[in-house]
Amino acid sequence: MKLKEYEKIVDKYSKKENKIKNIIIAFLSGGLLGLLGEGFVKFLETAFYMGDKEAYMYLMILLVIISSILTGFGIFDKIVSFCKCGLIIPTTGFSHAMTAAAMDHHSEGFIKGIGSNIFKLTGSVILYGIVAAFFLALLKGVIM
Amino acid sequence: MIYLNAFLLSGIVCAIGQIILENTKLTPGHLNAILVVIGALLSFFGVYEILVSFAGAGATVPITNFGHLLFTGAYEGFKQDGITGLLSNIFSTSSGGVTVTIVMAFLVSLFAKPKN
Repeated sequence: MKLKEYEKIVDKYSKKENKIKNIIIAFLSGGLLGLLGEGFVKFLETAFYMGDKEAYMYLMILLVIISSILTGFGIFDKIVSFCKCGLIIPTTGFSHAMTAAAMDHHSEGFIKGIGSNIFKLTGSVILYGIVAAFFLALLKGVIM
Repeated sequence: MIYLNAFLLSGIVCAIGQIILENTKLTPGHLNAILVVIGALLSFFGVYEILVSFAGAGATVPITNFGHLLFTGAYEGFKQDGITGLLSNIFSTSSGGVTVTIVMAFLVSLFAKPKN
């Protein structure tokens, strides 16, 4: 009985520590991505005389390409299982979800497989993004 | 200084996401959809542009930026051309990223096989 109680207490505390560890890792890896991104933007602005908006677009494109290729090689899943939200929340997660959905359904053919499943996981982001942006922009445009 | 801000803002957004994932039953799919709507809302109140000028890539790396880009495109379009402008410009600022995402997902899925 005492041993069981002891195990319960250990279980409770070890889980809690894991949670905090995950949050710290997500903070560090997400922050690092932001930091490197800022470095890339500064590089584009000084080397190619780009404006802010263009530089941010190329940053997004760079992140998308890297995460898509890493997903193809199966490396991204391993990094995500370590970094968790540090890579799911940035644009890399969006690209990873789309590539993974397309890869998983490749065997079912081009139309019924890739075509109808490519937005399976990311469809919600696009749907709610567009709906929210549409109504909010309409609202702000009418009010202002 | 902007590097530190970028690190902190991007890290904090990711940490908040991780806290939500750890303590609720939401999946990453839910989380991303919620964050996109939050990004559009912050952009609606004019907060997001301040965040971008304050933290640079720290604000443009998380998925909230997608909502911000959609909103700014739509709103700028509405200011120019009314409803026609809104409908034709909603993707104007985010189309680069979305196009590359879709093309890359298609190309990678042609050559790569799922590991398991």
